[in-house]
Amino acid sequence: MSRTVATDAEILARWKEEPAPLLPLLHAFHDRDGFLSESSIRGVAETLRIPLADLYGTITFYHFFRTFPPGKAAPRVCDGPVCKTRGADALLAALEKDGATPMPCAGRCDEPVPVLIGDTQFVGAADGSLVERETPRPAPRPDGGEECVFAHVRDPARRGIDGYLATVGYAGLRRAFCEWTPERTLEEIDASGLAGRGGAGFPTGRKWRAVAEAAGGPKTIVCNADEGEPGCFKDRVLMDHDPHATLEGMAIAARATGATRGFIYLRYEYPHTQAILENAIAEAEAHGYLGADVLGSGQEFRVYVRRGAGAYICGEETSLLNSLEGKHPFPRNRPPFPVTHGFEDTPTAVNNVETLCSVGPIVARGADWYRGLGYRGEGHGDHAGTKLVSLSGDVQRPGNYEVPIGLPLGTLIHDWAGGPREGRTVQAVTMAGLSGGFLAGDALDVTLDEPSIRAHGSFLGAAGIMVFDDSRNMVEVAAQAMSFFAHESCGKCFPCRIGTQRLTERLTGAAGPADLDAWTAEVADIGRTMKATSACGLGMAAPLVAESLVRRFASQVAAHVGEAGERGGERA
Amino acid sequence: MSERQHTIFLDGEEVPFRDGETVYEVSERHRREVPTLCYDPRLEAFGACRLCVVEVEGLRNPVASCTTKATAGMRVNTRTDVLEAHRKTLLELVASESRAAAEAPAGAVPGTVDPLRGYASQELATLASRYEVSGERFAGAKSGHSKGADDDNPFILRDYDLCISCYRCVRVCAEREGDYAISVANRGFHTQITTEFDSKLSDSSCTFCGQCVQTCPTGALADKKALRKVDVPGELQKTRTICPYCGVGCSVDIVTKGEEIVAVQPAMDGPANEGALCIKGQFAWDHVQHGDRLKTPFVRGEDGELRPASWDEALDRAAAGFRKAYAEHGAHAIYAIASGRAPHESAYTVQKFIRAGFGTNYIDNCSRA
Repeated sequence: MSRTVATDAEILARWKEEPAPLLPLLHAFHDRDGFLSESSIRGVAETLRIPLADLYGTITFYHFFRTFPPGKAAPRVCDGPVCKTRGADALLAALEKDGATPMPCAGRCDEPVPVLIGDTQFVGAADGSLVERETPRPAPRPDGGEECVFAHVRDPARRGIDGYLATVGYAGLRRAFCEWTPERTLEEIDASGLAGRGGAGFPTGRKWRAVAEAAGGPKTIVCNADEGEPGCFKDRVLMDHDPHATLEGMAIAARATGATRGFIYLRYEYPHTQAILENAIAEAEAHGYLGADVLGSGQEFRVYVRRGAGAYICGEETSLLNSLEGKHPFPRNRPPFPVTHGFEDTPTAVNNVETLCSVGPIVARGADWYRGLGYRGEGHGDHAGTKLVSLSGDVQRPGNYEVPIGLPLGTLIHDWAGGPREGRTVQAVTMAGLSGGFLAGDALDVTLDEPSIRAHGSFLGAAGIMVFDDSRNMVEVAAQAMSFFAHESCGKCFPCRIGTQRLTERLTGAAGPADLDAWTAEVADIGRTMKATSACGLGMAAPLVAESLVRRFASQVAAHVGEAGERGGERA
Repeated sequence: MSERQHTIFLDGEEVPFRDGETVYEVSERHRREVPTLCYDPRLEAFGACRLCVVEVEGLRNPVASCTTKATAGMRVNTRTDVLEAHRKTLLELVASESRAAAEAPAGAVPGTVDPLRGYASQELATLASRYEVSGERFAGAKSGHSKGADDDNPFILRDYDLCISCYRCVRVCAEREGDYAISVANRGFHTQITTEFDSKLSDSSCTFCGQCVQTCPTGALADKKALRKVDVPGELQKTRTICPYCGVGCSVDIVTKGEEIVAVQPAMDGPANEGALCIKGQFAWDHVQHGDRLKTPFVRGEDGELRPASWDEALDRAAAGFRKAYAEHGAHAIYAIASGRAPHESAYTVQKFIRAGFGTNYIDNCSRA
């Protein structure tokens, strides 16, 4: 079978006039050649009028873009905190002959170890065997309670538009476009209490209202599908098995704000998801739910999928916007905020996948219904709505769970997920993926809502929870976590750029004082300054790992500093 | 709007501000000496170093004053014990990644480099001294890879072992010079200033204007021409003058040790250039003290060889040549090009001489650009 290979000129012409063209252009060359050659980089720079040095620097920012072969063909093996405990190192060694290199958490912690080869994601085992499998579907909710975003996700027909429509899909969109005014939609979202499910928790209605009221345009809806937080794999299951729910949420957001274009910024590690989303977009356009004139309303709304290239920081909304625009993906200084100066300086709402997937059901069934899904257990009052939790690590049934906000953590771990392995106890859990650091001891009594978790110096965030049982060395886990943050620090602000490096060195034992008091003082000083002065959430959150380790696992830390000191000998 | 709405409270003192002014700018005007390493008043505020953080009443975390606009009634504290502790920690972190700190002898201020490296090269050392920064805390890997022989241009030393990734060089190149010759490669601790394809500067779009050198706060980018003069004895002295090359009128400081010129630095407050220079104004001053420089007139003998002569003899010879050309071929056979290195008065004299003396307008100047 012969396949025509696109020429440089054809690729450049294909994307030149598209919105947000840089990433798809680079991917087109990366896909064709397996790496980004000097001549293709020169062609892109000239076509998009980006200074060569600037483009070259930007390309080096993304860890999946390679400027030399074998590049894309070489396997990438997840070495995230859970995969590390499931044979990632052995798998990496087994694939070394093929040029395998590690990649940070690739969002499949419920079914480790993901391996990316080209545009296929496999599930690997320690012996080097690889199988290709669909994203796991969540188990039925153990207590039989009502769900919002997972209500239909287990239905195999739901991925196609017919199945989606058969399960009340696009009812919310129809109401927002044909029955309600944008103001009415905004009021309903306000009343639902829906807040950003990507972790920041900003009230969705307020964000949309700010975009609706902002001057200038065209306005933009950006779906943040750059699910990069280690231990988080919830958006993946939504997009893979219920892609129209994301599109419906985006379209309702567009109606409420007056936006005419939308982007889904998808993380690189979910290649199959891009095809699923693009297929869903085509279906929705064919049925009039997206396109030049949505349901005859006169409003245009088009959605484009843009794939990242490996950079955790691009999940930070202003980095994401810079990335979309083809700029170096440093976070922007705020104010101004994206709601007034977002994509190409136009008013923009950036919403997480889960947030958007909640919107359709809220509009279709009402704010009161959604609020009523919150936890109503004994002694718990006013929790509104639900939250997806990605639970992984040392539990019997890892996976995604849609929990009523306010559910006790213990109920989730022990009753819903079967608790730790036989004969083991829960030593610690991470919060917000890794960003919330560790909870242990008494703190495991928290309920799954921000006030409860924040009272313990952590936060729920995007609600990745990794469980570590009493067989794990928590200093090692913390060192892996911190080296992730160091790997992903963008390098813009000093406290994060240097602080994540120094904390990593102290947690691995590569450098740092041999005296415990001096070690602790350095770690505390770095953490305090990072939290107070870092320019974005990465640097503010990263020290929580070290801080919670020192607070909750003092004896493991003392042993580590002692051993590292002996190994280091004369090291200061 | 009443007058009162255009004030903020700076460390308790009510002070006015102008629309659009940042908290840092207001603080500077009121001599608060808020520290910074990534700030250059000519560039868009970037917010990288976080040293300029201040406390704003009502906000949970300190904010970078360089990127925060003043708003009416804002209550700002620029110097509290907590802020000063953060600043010291930040400076100790920065010192820990630099080769200069690692190599500093015991007791020396971390970050000390020779001031001939560039105009702003003392900024890190000055702050390290002010905050009594220890060069020993936060020890660990160093960042940056110096390009010694790998970039053998005659002008700019890329000594990135000293780089602290403030990106002033990248920003001045883009925002002021418009060259976009350098950018940021990699990320996090592995950040490195690069060119297109990590090439030499001479293979990039760099014009060797030297602005990156002069804004670098650590001397990581250094003036190679000046560094030849490090061992010349004597105190550095600066003499303000105007660049003699072209008609723009860039203000420069001629840097001398004793009688010897050791560097040229742009005047950051020069009204025509605001710290900018071109490759000639910045780096082409060797001729002033060059051994081959002509110090007496020469005339050519019958044998065709040049020999030293008196000014009278040389001028007579020149006058004879002009007369001969004028007599044989007329006024328009004469064409004068004034040197760009000549001062304005000389240029004026040249055109007067040609126009009034010979009656032709055939005049030009080599610095027409």
